[in-house]
Amino acid sequence: MNILTILLCLLWSSASLARPISYVDGHTLMANSGPMADSIYWHYTPNINYSVGLDYQRDKVSNERFPSARFTYLINRKNTDQSQRNLYFKAGVGLNNINNHFYSLAGDWETRRLFSSFSAEKSSGIGYDMFQQSIKVGVAPYLGDYGDLHTWLMVETKKNDLDNERITYPVLRLFKGGALIEMSYHKKTKWDVHLMYRF
Amino acid sequence: MKNLFLLGLLVSSSVIYAEHHGQHGMENMHSHEGHLHNEMINGKTLKVDAQRFDKFMVDIDNHVVAVVSVQGMVCDFCARGIEKTFGKDKRVSKIDVDLASGKVLLAFSMAVDVDEADITQKILNNGLNTTDIQVVGK
Repeated sequence: MNILTILLCLLWSSASLARPISYVDGHTLMANSGPMADSIYWHYTPNINYSVGLDYQRDKVSNERFPSARFTYLINRKNTDQSQRNLYFKAGVGLNNINNHFYSLAGDWETRRLFSSFSAEKSSGIGYDMFQQSIKVGVAPYLGDYGDLHTWLMVETKKNDLDNERITYPVLRLFKGGALIEMSYHKKTKWDVHLMYRF
Repeated sequence: MKNLFLLGLLVSSSVIYAEHHGQHGMENMHSHEGHLHNEMINGKTLKVDAQRFDKFMVDIDNHVVAVVSVQGMVCDFCARGIEKTFGKDKRVSKIDVDLASGKVLLAFSMAVDVDEADITQKILNNGLNTTDIQVVGK
């Protein structure tokens, strides 16, 4: 069951990587590589209120492949001079098996110095259902200007109802221009690397 | 006749004063303590980083600059989106995004009418809000 839990976490983890809606007409390409699965996720933003995308995952254990379609809707956004706050609804469904699906509520609040996000997600596959909650907080050790290398030091904690165990781990996020890399490590899941490019 | 002469003098002096002080031409701008301050015709005070503004103006002559104040611009992705969006607009000659001050500078040729509603919509298409637009150099 633990392996399944870890796999599920990895399968849907790229959804919480960064803002799931870009600027209008913007494309985002994400790649994730972890000990249990690799994935590629592309999404397009036709309207500032939603994005649509395709996700393709390869399970390293079973070598099975899971293509899926995703949709993200911006429920609410609040901009201030110093911050942005977002609330999203996300959903995804497997293209070769609609029993593989998920839906979630996610939110973030960010300034140039501080970051926080949460996610509550229900996912289902063949023979399982899982509810997972996660919280991520971060701080930028320095404030870079546009085009500089930006660094975030973060901590993420997750808990699901399958093994009812909370895992907490450090996350390092670096980004410059349209490119982002995020790395995390936990003794159970080992290294997990996300790459993202927005264009 | 004397009254007419005095009235004419008053009107012409007002016009000359307005031309020299009321317009928000870039040549009237002055910087101190790192910021550029200029009293605009509408009574608002323009504040932009002086060094940044000077650098922006280096290779553009005969242009007006829209100084756009933006809310929610907290990361490089926001800035990149703005640069890409306005980069597609052939009317915009040069773009500068200042994350620290939440200001976007857009240079337009003098021959172009600056469409503030279009600027506001493009900023909105990036998920951000425009709180103010000051057009400098008209």
